[in-house]
Amino acid sequence: MIQPVQRRNLGIALLFLAPNLIGFLLFTLGPILISLGGSFTSWSLKPSVPLRFVGLQNYVDLLSDPNFYFYLYNTVYLLTGLPISIAGSLALAVLLSSRLNLQTSRAALILSLTAALGSLPVSGILMISGSGSTAFLVLALGVITSLGLYFNSIGYRTFYYLPHFTAGASTILLWMQLYNPSFGLINQSLLALCEFLGIPFSPPGWLTSTRSLLGFLPLPAHFNNGGFGVGAREAIMIMTIWASVGGNNMILYLAGISNIPPELYEAADIDGASGWQRFRHITFPQLAPTTFFIVVMGVISGLQGGFEQAKLMTEGGPAGTTTTLSYYIYTQGFELLDLGYGAAVSWVLFLLMMGITLLNWRYGNRHQNQ
Amino acid sequence: MNPSGSLFRHFGLVIIAMIMTLPFLWMVGTSIKPHHEVESLSLLPSSPHPENYAIVLRQSPDPYTGKLLDLDFPKWYFNSFFIAGWVTFLQVLTSACAAYAFARLEWPGRDRVFVLYLGTMMVPGMVTMLPAYQIMVSLGMVNTYQGLIIPSAFSAFGTFLLRQFMIGIPRSFDEAASIDGANHLQTFIEVILPMSRPGVIALSIFTFLGNFQSFVWPLVMVRDDHLRTIPVGMLSFQGLYGQQTELIMAATVLNVIPLIILFVVMQKQLISGIQLGGVKG
Repeated sequence: MIQPVQRRNLGIALLFLAPNLIGFLLFTLGPILISLGGSFTSWSLKPSVPLRFVGLQNYVDLLSDPNFYFYLYNTVYLLTGLPISIAGSLALAVLLSSRLNLQTSRAALILSLTAALGSLPVSGILMISGSGSTAFLVLALGVITSLGLYFNSIGYRTFYYLPHFTAGASTILLWMQLYNPSFGLINQSLLALCEFLGIPFSPPGWLTSTRSLLGFLPLPAHFNNGGFGVGAREAIMIMTIWASVGGNNMILYLAGISNIPPELYEAADIDGASGWQRFRHITFPQLAPTTFFIVVMGVISGLQGGFEQAKLMTEGGPAGTTTTLSYYIYTQGFELLDLGYGAAVSWVLFLLMMGITLLNWRYGNRHQNQ
Repeated sequence: MNPSGSLFRHFGLVIIAMIMTLPFLWMVGTSIKPHHEVESLSLLPSSPHPENYAIVLRQSPDPYTGKLLDLDFPKWYFNSFFIAGWVTFLQVLTSACAAYAFARLEWPGRDRVFVLYLGTMMVPGMVTMLPAYQIMVSLGMVNTYQGLIIPSAFSAFGTFLLRQFMIGIPRSFDEAASIDGANHLQTFIEVILPMSRPGVIALSIFTFLGNFQSFVWPLVMVRDDHLRTIPVGMLSFQGLYGQQTELIMAATVLNVIPLIILFVVMQKQLISGIQLGGVKG
């Protein structure tokens, strides 16, 4: 039964909804339906291919496409950086939430000013004596220490969050330079360090290498496995961890920690619990809903990820080792112009995401109820 | 609590902050190096070479070719702000209107339509990209500003975020407004929208940032250099001047600076926005 008020509201509601609804139908729901329908056709941008219904052919092709499994493996392999990143976010949040205030605000101010003013003459002297790099580092160290001592967790949070906030094409190109095998900062530093320690060392090829940490596994030949070592996939993982460890996950953990009732810790103190026990039995279980949310969101975005890195850094290489499913969809659609097949891959990706999310849901909820 | 324990923690936090910041320090240092010093391990050049910025901004010629760069970085810069600005304005506007309809009005079928909105949020962007491109082809919007702005002006996520915000506002405010003779448009603009301010600000930051940095859609939508935004522009920069690291780093610094300013200025609103989306989403 629809009441007259509700019916009158329908008109008003439609007026409010109209601009959004038109866009939603045209650019979200419409494309979703076209994509689903198109995945059952020979949809192509090549004029030589006529559009016709092919049934499940695209999906059958996909399941017998060795590249699909290779790129699925790459996508899932890149996801293994996620637990490291989440553990890092949690550790940072716990550290930032711990007591950082010095005895008095005056002591903090004095120490902060000492760090700021102290780093100036030191870096000045270093600059004059010709080691500009060290001077630059000392100056940065002084600024960070000074801000951290004065603003405590908010000061540090800013520095940790910046890689996430600025993440994009530019920072990907920045890392591409850092990873340059011969003159990139990373390999040069590693070489200098090993020379100093007297260890013989041949640095990894990073983005040019097909090695991986799982390279010792007997993977199929078309996975272009370069053996055990550090290669392009690890390079992308490290960059992703750098960009995400201090990002939204850390912010969510900080909020979660601040919502834990202090009585729990007070009770633990009375029982004489150690720092680890407090974390193990209070902090971590109390944060379970946050962790659950972060894992679900991380898996969803991780399975769709890797496009920008592949497009900007590696073109999916070397030998396809950094091609993820999203990059595969792009190349199928916009380079090979085979939209039907690309759409089929994207729907299989969607099913994978849904499946893992539902598993997470069941497992995660059971875990939370205990 | 002993102060040495907290000093020890500060020490650890400073070290981590240094590691996180090091790539940015290298970026700034390299952006002011002359070309022949790029490969040295030193973070800073022997003497600063800020001309790199003038070259990237097309104020002085590239020393290798003797003419201005073929790529119009200043135009990309303008495009990025122009497009992200319009998208943010339109998306917040359409999302707020729709959120009002979902949160404050009762009409038949409301919850089913809302579930449909929610459901589409689960679908990966790659699914809609190919057909959305085809739709833009048939609308004749490929390679235009409209093609970059209009598809992003509507968002199920934005509608969802603001609806969550508006649903928390007590009913009595609408009733009071209605007793004062306000119609729905007046209630929306004068009561509900101001009360949703934190949500609107958070959505604005998310939308602006997401669009300013968006890569895939401008990549497929734009053919001409003068329509490029910074992220896709950087791809052609890498392709044409990939050997001139110092220029790429100068461009990167110019890309990152407005983001750092935005972050420092909006930090408080942004953090509460993330926590809001995370806790309620």
